[in-house]
Amino acid sequence: MIGEPEAVGTETLGDGDRVVLTFPARGDLVVLARLVASAISARVGFDIEELEDLRLAVGELCLLALQGSDARHGDLQLEFTISGEALDISCTLGGAAPQSGSRDEDRNAADELSEQILYALVDEHGREQEDGSVRAWLRKRRKGPLA
Amino acid sequence: MITENLGLAHQLARRFLHRGEPLDDLVQVASVALVKSVDRFDESRGVDFAAFATRTIIGELKRHFRDKGWAVRASRRVQELYLELGHATSTLVQQLGRSPTVAELAQATGSSEEAVLEAIEAGQGYRAASIDAAENEDDPLSARMGERDAHFDSVEDRALLAPVLDMLPPRERSILRMRFVQGLTQSEIAVTIGVSQMHVSRLLAASLEQLRQHIGQESPE
Repeated sequence: MIGEPEAVGTETLGDGDRVVLTFPARGDLVVLARLVASAISARVGFDIEELEDLRLAVGELCLLALQGSDARHGDLQLEFTISGEALDISCTLGGAAPQSGSRDEDRNAADELSEQILYALVDEHGREQEDGSVRAWLRKRRKGPLA
Repeated sequence: MITENLGLAHQLARRFLHRGEPLDDLVQVASVALVKSVDRFDESRGVDFAAFATRTIIGELKRHFRDKGWAVRASRRVQELYLELGHATSTLVQQLGRSPTVAELAQATGSSEEAVLEAIEAGQGYRAASIDAAENEDDPLSARMGERDAHFDSVEDRALLAPVLDMLPPRERSILRMRFVQGLTQSEIAVTIGVSQMHVSRLLAASLEQLRQHIGQESPE
């Protein structure tokens, strides 16, 4: 028997708070992004379904930032920004040169799949490339006002 | 069109793994959704079929979890794993003579390391009282999970410890020194003095409570 859990410690991040996570740009470390995303989602009051959407979406965001670059020496920086109505997450790959040559079909297909998944899970998303950095971002609005 | 996109259905189903549903079931839901996508697809709208199908399949996968009351079960699953981790920690400490790693706990509970980390994190959100209430009073889960000495780990608290340590019996004093001066874990202390980690946890809690009361009495308002 487990007693009814008392939800504590939720909604402890609010309007204007920002969390930044930087880690070596390796696929096996995307777990860090997902764990932080779920911790933050819980603390801004997203429900468990939205939280799962965000976990999935953050993984795709990292994939989008990683694809098309030689990430062996780069870092991924995730920035979570909480505003009154939404959670914004941006993922920047820094310090990694874009891979030379044309991108192969597999990679294009992978990008496309990630974009489509993001389209289904979050309210807005995009990707930009500037000065050797790739930045992918998403915005997830909450059903009610954020804490 | 269906055959061409079965791979897409499969890939999307895999994205929803680790939520307690077998891959086969998820693939089935995704495949049925793919068939629905073909039926509903309107080429004249100028939308790419793969994009349309992805949305439909993800929508159906999410509905599948929703219909099965997944949110409630997920929350329960995390609690159950948290409880399971308590038992596994206790067993592994006995077997290994040290605290287990996350990887070892994942293996022992048949979970992923990520799930273990999540359960530990989520477990902090549930009051220890509700977990202890369901357990034997002499063997509370929190004592077995208890590698943390709550509310007595700040630098300020430790600074207050030294002058009042002498009031404790020699064994308790020695345990507190090992924990706070030498920085040993409860498991390491347990091995050193030949008792269970659970017992160390209880002795520490009792000693700290005693000291806390003493410090409280001595402290100015």
